[in-house]
Amino acid sequence: MLRKALLIGLAGAMLVGLVAVAQEPVTIQFWHSMSSGHQPHLVALVDQFMAEYPYITVELTYQGGYGDTEDKVNASVVAGTPPTIVQLYENVITPLVEVLYPIGPHMTAAERSDILTGLVANNTFDGVLVSVPWNKSIMVLYYRSDLIDTPPTTWEEFAQMAADLTVDLDGDGVIDQYGTGLRPYNPEMYLNYVVQNGGSILNDDWTEVTIGEEEGLEAMQYAESLVPYSFISSGYLSDALGAGQVAMFVDTSAGYYYNNKAAVENGYTMDVARVPFGPVNRRSAIQGTNLVVFDMGQTQAQKDAAVLLARFLIRPENTVYWSTRGGYLPVVKSAYSDPAWLDYLADHPEAVVMSEAMVDGFAQILHPNYGQMRSVLGSAFESVLLAAATAEEAVADLVIELEALLEY
Amino acid sequence: MRRPSLRLPYNWRSRSFWIESAEAYLYLLPALAILGVFTFYPFFSAFRLSLFRWSVVHPPGTYVGLANYSRIFADKWFWNAVGNTFYYVGVSVPVTLFLALLVANLLNKPLRFRAFARTSFFLAYITPLVAVAMVWSWMYNWHFGLFNYILGLFGGSLVNWLMDPKLSMLTVIILSVWRFVGYQAIILLAGLQNIDKMYYDAAKVDGATGMRTWWHVTLPLLTPQIFFVFIISMIGSFKVFTEVYVLFTGTPGPLRSAETLVFYILRKGRFDGTQLGIAAAASVFLFAVIFGFTIVQLLVTQRKVHYQ
Repeated sequence: MLRKALLIGLAGAMLVGLVAVAQEPVTIQFWHSMSSGHQPHLVALVDQFMAEYPYITVELTYQGGYGDTEDKVNASVVAGTPPTIVQLYENVITPLVEVLYPIGPHMTAAERSDILTGLVANNTFDGVLVSVPWNKSIMVLYYRSDLIDTPPTTWEEFAQMAADLTVDLDGDGVIDQYGTGLRPYNPEMYLNYVVQNGGSILNDDWTEVTIGEEEGLEAMQYAESLVPYSFISSGYLSDALGAGQVAMFVDTSAGYYYNNKAAVENGYTMDVARVPFGPVNRRSAIQGTNLVVFDMGQTQAQKDAAVLLARFLIRPENTVYWSTRGGYLPVVKSAYSDPAWLDYLADHPEAVVMSEAMVDGFAQILHPNYGQMRSVLGSAFESVLLAAATAEEAVADLVIELEALLEY
Repeated sequence: MRRPSLRLPYNWRSRSFWIESAEAYLYLLPALAILGVFTFYPFFSAFRLSLFRWSVVHPPGTYVGLANYSRIFADKWFWNAVGNTFYYVGVSVPVTLFLALLVANLLNKPLRFRAFARTSFFLAYITPLVAVAMVWSWMYNWHFGLFNYILGLFGGSLVNWLMDPKLSMLTVIILSVWRFVGYQAIILLAGLQNIDKMYYDAAKVDGATGMRTWWHVTLPLLTPQIFFVFIISMIGSFKVFTEVYVLFTGTPGPLRSAETLVFYILRKGRFDGTQLGIAAAASVFLFAVIFGFTIVQLLVTQRKVHYQ
């Protein structure tokens, strides 16, 4: 009996020894775009990860904004020395798929099925979950609750309210307060209308441009109808909100902190609601990036460590931590019933609205030229907002430009 | 002008000629190496890239011949960028040069605070462009800007400098004229001070005064400096970018009205990393334009430049 126990003990010790051998120190590089506001929370999470996996060292490097990080990632891939793990938008991931180490196959089935349904498709390439969603936000309606009792719930109500709230307060012939605000360089404002009207940019297999169909045109016409009641700004609308120049607008939930601060500091109150229903639905655009792991000269230990980090970051408790501090929304279903998240919701009614919106939000398409497509979508939207083209002209031009990008 | 001879020098058979030549090339080597790595290689690389459909994973991608060039020539935004760039060059280069001539002549006069004035004009040039452009973006601000404040004082209506597509290129031009006048004036001033007094004395003896002296003596003898400043500022102006990027917070201005060629190249080259070949084609086009203009300038102006 004693001998048997000794043998089991010895075998156990050998197993521990083997595990210890397998866990040789490994260092991975994590490139991110989280500036001063979000960075401390990311550092805290990564510190926690390194405490849990003491053999892994994560070199966290801020690479500038999303565009800067994308440029650096592309350059590093050409040089053959990309980082181990990085946060990227979907369209940047598409051309890189063959040099990425798919994260999905190295997750448990439970983990995979826990990812929010709306976020699975835009991380799946050829049926494989290559990347995982990470810092996600959704477009919602911000409104001055000192001016608006009940926020609009349909396109018609929104347009009517925008018209009613556009006023010349001091009677000098100049409009001081606009009902709503639109940003020319934010084509997601237009895409919301397209999707809410049942339309899309391209067909499912990316062989045809579909935004020129009735749904896309009506969406642009709706945006055009709002122009007289809109404060048009190339930058974020928080300044205009604080200056009392805009009563309500649709924008990303990631801007909640700045919008609320601008309103409160100027003696207004602000609230958040779901975007109004269009003719078909009330879906709105999901924004934010995903995590990818590179397979381009990285050792197996590095890839494994990076996958562990990605899985760690989207654990329910960690996605909740990230969301409650960083202003994003949890990316896994179980997080929405996590006690910490429920506690947070009790104090933050805006997060309840954002969570609901997230469930049926729509994500960016995965076309490799989407970055350029987004740019021409923005130009078309802008030409309507600045009255340089009618909705019909803008959409007709847009179709030609998108078709050129589709074939090349 | 004497044309350079391609014949070997008379002493080419001597050993000392070859040793001297080797020595000269040795001294040139560091500069050539730096130019080679950072100028010539990227240039030829960009040209090569312009013939490929870029792939980030398998660079340089698929050979497509001149397809990238036909892409840009068919793109209305490319021609918009070409138009904006020519507008900028066409207005800012002569205006800056004219003002710089004026300032250089003023600074050449025995003014009381001449040293202070020279420093002040030059300060605009040595201040980092990003900082300058940020300050100007505030001065152009519709609500709080200095320009609209001044317009308001005189009862003028407010101008939306940065959101009006008709004005956006003008805002860039005003900023760049302000920035480069001092720099060009200092170079022209050096030229002015280099003109031998005997020419003026001779003109005086012939009875020339004021504008006549300036037109017939100063201007011709200043042509080497004017020519230099003209070429340098023209090349620089074709490459205008930072002013636009900062004034319009990273955007190409309303309705892409301030999108210059370099801005177009940047926007094509980034975002997806899939259109780098097209961006390279546009940069080769820009090179060809600048090269062509410089050659024309050289041919035209060499007849007009007078050396003392």
